[in-house]
Amino acid sequence: MSAGGESSRERILGRVARAAASRGRLSHPGALATPAAADPVSGFVKCFTSSGGEVVQADRGRPANEWLTGFLQALEPGVVGVAVGPEVPAGLRPRLPDVAAAHAGAGISVAWGAVSESGSLILPSTGTRAVQLLPPVHVVWVPEGRVFARMEDALRELLHGLPAAVGLHSGPSKSADIGRTVVTGVHGPGRCMVVFI
Amino acid sequence: MIRDYAARSREIIRDEPGVREAVTGATIAFDEKRRKGYAEVDADAWRRWAEGVKNHTLTHLDHYLTEAEARLRANGAQVHWAADAAEAREIVIGLATRRAVASVVKGKSMVTEEIDLNPALEEAGIEVIETDLGEYVLQLLEEPPSHILGPALHKSLRQVQDLFAERLNTAPDGDPDTLARAAREVLRNAFIDADMGITGANFLVAETGTVALIENEGNIRLTTSLPRVHVAVVGIEKLLPRMTDLAGFLQLTARAATGQPIGCFVSLIQGPAAEPGDDGPEEVHVVLVDNGRTDVLAHEHAWEALRCVRCGACLNACPVYRQTGGHAYGHVYSGPIGSVLDPGLLGLHDAMPLPFASSLCGACEDACPVRIPIPELLLEWRREAQDEGLTPWKERAALAGLASVATQPGLYRLAGRIGSRLGARGAARALPMLGEWARDRALPKPSPRTFRQLWREGIE
Repeated sequence: MSAGGESSRERILGRVARAAASRGRLSHPGALATPAAADPVSGFVKCFTSSGGEVVQADRGRPANEWLTGFLQALEPGVVGVAVGPEVPAGLRPRLPDVAAAHAGAGISVAWGAVSESGSLILPSTGTRAVQLLPPVHVVWVPEGRVFARMEDALRELLHGLPAAVGLHSGPSKSADIGRTVVTGVHGPGRCMVVFI
Repeated sequence: MIRDYAARSREIIRDEPGVREAVTGATIAFDEKRRKGYAEVDADAWRRWAEGVKNHTLTHLDHYLTEAEARLRANGAQVHWAADAAEAREIVIGLATRRAVASVVKGKSMVTEEIDLNPALEEAGIEVIETDLGEYVLQLLEEPPSHILGPALHKSLRQVQDLFAERLNTAPDGDPDTLARAAREVLRNAFIDADMGITGANFLVAETGTVALIENEGNIRLTTSLPRVHVAVVGIEKLLPRMTDLAGFLQLTARAATGQPIGCFVSLIQGPAAEPGDDGPEEVHVVLVDNGRTDVLAHEHAWEALRCVRCGACLNACPVYRQTGGHAYGHVYSGPIGSVLDPGLLGLHDAMPLPFASSLCGACEDACPVRIPIPELLLEWRREAQDEGLTPWKERAALAGLASVATQPGLYRLAGRIGSRLGARGAARALPMLGEWARDRALPKPSPRTFRQLWREGIE
């Protein structure tokens, strides 16, 4: 509380209102019209891969979980234990031992959706954040029909059931803070891989 | 005047020549990426739109602050209001001590630098660990950040190699990959052990109470996800009305800052973990900070500087900033935006002579994603400084002298004749203020006859 018993909240809001009243209230310019890609999936692939993300084709002749198991084991270094988000259905879970995210070779998630214009994956907190962040490799299943052309479209849709937190992942973790050289996997996953379903 | 920008600049250029080289190289690279990022979209239209949204928000800020507060509370987050830096520190330290917090991890945040949060936390016996790689380097060196985006961009690879060899036992010639891995190991444990994560915010969306944070490393995602308490310290100017506005600002800010379509990681935080399966923090606190912002908002001209999204584009474009980096400016906000914001936040007297630390070339305004008229605002602060008698007396005397010579034809003729005899250099050196200006410049030789004489004789 500041002098005179007026709370900081009242003081700040009062000063803001006085400044606004003396200036006149300006109107909102409406929506920003950004062009929508005709083919959102290929737009997403282009943008996501140019930021260092990887898009992997699953072998559709085999069950998805079998294919993923082989794929993870063949990575360098081969994945032994995995951390899998609770949103991942049985058919998409690799047949590898579940371990804590901090010790897993890979994290497996299903995206709520993706955005073409920015090459972003939309990952709700219900998918457990540790799975999305701690393992060095993050493999994300993306339903092909859930790729939105524009960020605005995706966020508008998300408003209908907004979880406590949402992460937009648009490539691997990177930094150029040391000697202006880009290094990956600084804090989050060094490899971020998308598989369309 | 509490700082001596000119003396600090001279010292940096003379004693630390590597700073100029590193800052110039890094900012030119950032600026090129920004140009490329703008060229991929209709940047002029995006910037005009963003200017309009911010102007609307700032002139309805009472409405949007109240809406954000109500929404955050409905989401289960707690909202605190801080009139100044001391109050903001008190709130955060109170939260930490009441929850027996022993260690804090931090995401890069300019506002927590502004309110001097780290020393206050340490004084309260709480360990503070900066987790952005550049900030971590600076914390080990006990230096403040030099750039909004690349806090350690004034440091060479060699300097980081030496530092990490001494502190983290890495090989003296470790490459950036090895150095980053060593830091990751230390910081990974810090994330897991920390009781509280502290961040700033790039935006706060009123409609949903969303704290939005943009980054590339993932350290902010971890800071806001793993500790049981998350505190976001947010300047009151960070509001945006709706999620659809955020969609544009996330992309424009990234393009202005690094030319990327968006940061590698964006966190959108509405409140504490609520659903089963969510492993996020049990508590989320948002501290809304004024600390001079309502003074800036009330200023007839300077309020436009509150549109700033802290992308660093104006620093990267500025030929003056490139010579010294941020430390010469003496305040957390440096470069062109600092030179217009600091007089508003600190008071003009305390920010002098920053409005003069510019050549007024206009590159900053062209780069700014929210079209802040920085050169115009610099001139406005200079006018105010002149009116308040804050400029050096020699300069005021020289300008008064010039005014009286220019308005009296007899004196003007006399001055012209003296000038042409002495030569421009001699004349300039003989005059206050101009002497300093002429010291490092080669001046043209004046014509032996004045313009008036030539005019009378008929100019050929």
